[in-house]
Amino acid sequence: MADGTQILRRNRPGSKAKDFCRWPDQPFEEMDNTLAVQQLIQQTIRRDPSNLEAILKMPEAQEEGVWKYEHLRQFCMELNGLTVRLQSECKPNTCTQMTATEQWIFLCAAHKTPKECPAIDYTRHTLDGAACLLNSNKYFPSRVSIRDSSVGKLGSVCRRVYRIFSHAYFHHRAIFDAFEKETHLCKRFTYFVTKYSIISKEILILPKLDDEVPINQPVGESEA
Amino acid sequence: MDDSSVSHHNGGQVGSEIGVSVNNKQNEESSQSVQYSIPGILHFIQHEWARFELERSQWEVDRAEFEARIAFLQGERKGQENLKNDLVRRIKMLEYALKQERGKFHKLKYGVELQQGDMRPPPEEPPVEPDPAERAQWKQGRQLIKQYLQEIGYTDTILDIRSNRVRTLLGVNNEEQSEESNYRNCDKHHYSTNTALGRKMMMYDYGGKDQQCKGAVSGGYNEEGLSVQENAVFANFEFLANQEMDMDEIEDIDAKQAHHTQMKQGEEVDHEAEEVLNELNLLTETEADGGGQGDEYVVKFPSGSSTSGPAGEADEKPLALGELAQLTVSNEPEAYDVAGASKESFRKTWNPKYTLRSHFDGVRAVAFHPNEAALVTASEDHTLKLWNLQRTVPAKKSAGLDVEPLYTFRAHSGPVLCLAMGAPRSEECFSAGKDGTIRVWNLPSATADPYDPYDAAVQGPVLRDHTDAIWSLASSHGRLLSASADGTARLWSPRAPRPLLATLRDDTTAGDPAAADFADAATRAAVAYNDGTLLLYDLETAQVVLRVSCSSPTTRVRSHPTLPVLVTAHEDRHIRFWDAVSGRCAHAMVAHLDAVTGLALDPNGLFLLSGSHDCSVRLWNLDTKTCVQEITAHRKKFDEGILDVAFHPVRPYIASAGADGLAKVFV
Repeated sequence: MADGTQILRRNRPGSKAKDFCRWPDQPFEEMDNTLAVQQLIQQTIRRDPSNLEAILKMPEAQEEGVWKYEHLRQFCMELNGLTVRLQSECKPNTCTQMTATEQWIFLCAAHKTPKECPAIDYTRHTLDGAACLLNSNKYFPSRVSIRDSSVGKLGSVCRRVYRIFSHAYFHHRAIFDAFEKETHLCKRFTYFVTKYSIISKEILILPKLDDEVPINQPVGESEA
Repeated sequence: MDDSSVSHHNGGQVGSEIGVSVNNKQNEESSQSVQYSIPGILHFIQHEWARFELERSQWEVDRAEFEARIAFLQGERKGQENLKNDLVRRIKMLEYALKQERGKFHKLKYGVELQQGDMRPPPEEPPVEPDPAERAQWKQGRQLIKQYLQEIGYTDTILDIRSNRVRTLLGVNNEEQSEESNYRNCDKHHYSTNTALGRKMMMYDYGGKDQQCKGAVSGGYNEEGLSVQENAVFANFEFLANQEMDMDEIEDIDAKQAHHTQMKQGEEVDHEAEEVLNELNLLTETEADGGGQGDEYVVKFPSGSSTSGPAGEADEKPLALGELAQLTVSNEPEAYDVAGASKESFRKTWNPKYTLRSHFDGVRAVAFHPNEAALVTASEDHTLKLWNLQRTVPAKKSAGLDVEPLYTFRAHSGPVLCLAMGAPRSEECFSAGKDGTIRVWNLPSATADPYDPYDAAVQGPVLRDHTDAIWSLASSHGRLLSASADGTARLWSPRAPRPLLATLRDDTTAGDPAAADFADAATRAAVAYNDGTLLLYDLETAQVVLRVSCSSPTTRVRSHPTLPVLVTAHEDRHIRFWDAVSGRCAHAMVAHLDAVTGLALDPNGLFLLSGSHDCSVRLWNLDTKTCVQEITAHRKKFDEGILDVAFHPVRPYIASAGADGLAKVFV
């Protein structure tokens, strides 16, 4: 996609799906705009979604709050993909409650009084709520620096988001596996929350997934 | 000749024969001389007399008519003059009232008398001084208002107090606080015509003025200054003349006149004139709303007066500023004058009002609802979101008007790249994206709760014939046009059992379709390719009927709603206009500093909106092809800035969508 001397990292109308975002990586130091961290994360994921080390290697001198925030945005965004797949199978009449193991029923926190939403509603509401919170002008007015008090909000989002993984894992395993194979999202998420101690280990109820996902498999179309 | 025959026919009737045309007269006389008879002559003379009399009376009637007309016009002129004088007086009234109020405010705030000039009556008064007849009228008016005051419970005592207060203001003596509040009360009544808005305006002005007042010792009224003032006042006459005089108001003002003539304050006259004008503007604005506000204010204010000055001020000022902002807007000259000024949807400048934040990645497309204040955005985060601009977020957010999405559409398995809104009342929209599918959506109602249970019925049919990313959608009359990187543009009837109506493909074109739009009352399709080619297909035959090409890749194409004109946006920063009949390039202009990515035409075809990777939105006058407004709206992600722009079909909204994940709505 490089045209002449200057590389313009753009998706031009009319370009093929396979050319989408197919431009040379830009070194993080050269990214001079406010969305640099998002750009870096997406760029690294595009290169190899299975390379968790690389994806979660925070650049030096990067503010950790922003780093975590941008990663969580990316998780929520990619979870849309899982939700789309779940929508076809996870029906309100079959999965009437948000459960993973039989141990807990999760109440949907999107409502004024937490509600026993069906799993698909829980999933959608949680993602919608997360989108609201993470885009809230009040808590996250800037994507360059984030107050500590707002960073604290990320924990609860992570906890709820993890339940989507766990529900898919325990109740819609085929979907989960297919999705995970493509995106390595749950693995990345687990790595992320463990690395930054966002969720306590006891809550991470999924078995270790490393064995199930061949690490160096060539990745097809996985977009940001 | 036939003279003889005439005379014979007429017999002795001389009169009628006289009426025969002049060039025959000589002959007649010679031939008729023998026929003269006394009765005939008498009859003739009588007849002539009657005729002259008739004419004379006609002239008299005419004359009387003209005299009446002259009198009428004179009267009218006099009336106009009186009106003018009245208005001038009225302006002065307001001015004095303002000053009085200012003095009082100053005193309340600083506890000291505002230094004022002599009490001599204004030397400038004579020009507007009423003649005796008018004075009688005033007297009557004053009487009348006194009556009114009594009716609503104001007694003479209060009126007396009021005149005391005037003296107080003039620095004659100090008074007690309790009295002060009384004064306020009755003063308020007199001000009721000014209405709340006007009052706030004044309060605001005082804030800025106090320093001046404190420092400046007045030197009485400045003659030159007053004339400046008058000029300004007269300049505004046209505006005033249009305004209906409210009799109550005039009487109220007349009642004040007595006090005004007694007092003077030295101030900067230019400012005063300005204030008076502003105030009058406010008056007209508020008069439209009815006088209710003024009364309300009277009730409200006394409590405010009992609080300390600064606190009251803190309450007032933001409000006043708000009104002031409104005022400046209304006073701004029209930046562009739309042909149909009646069309409310076009105003001079667009200002950002709503920021739509909820997408996690760049927003690729934005489309307004056909009639509601709602819009849909499509994003690279694989979702679409529905927004209702009339349901803004409750007060928990600090900054302005944020809108939360009403609904999130999830079904695409890749970035959503384009969007089209269905016909009015169909309550549907279409989206397509990198995954090569076109999805039909049934829009949830504008009152839906974002956290309602999932309703699968929102998802409509899915059109899967395209084999690559779809970059453009257009909808018209229930048909859908898509342009895909698989090399084809397709025409659909989205809800039909066999939705694909036609595939538009041109093998001689090297590029892939980047954009498409219906043209020529939806009988043709304009398809723009990413190699710069622009093809016009006939939708009946699916054949190319027009082919134009240019050097730069095309990013968008839009057809003019009323004219056979196609507008294309290009990578090379140009916007080009094409004659859709001849294929001639009618106009080409460098429109932005970077690739142009978004195009939208307003429903009347008068304005063009463009967006670019240079992060600016520009509004163009299609007539002159000049830029009438530029808005810098978004931030870059990689090298992408703005990705789409849109006009609301019927409401005064425009929107932009950016790679930064935001959409913005301007009003």
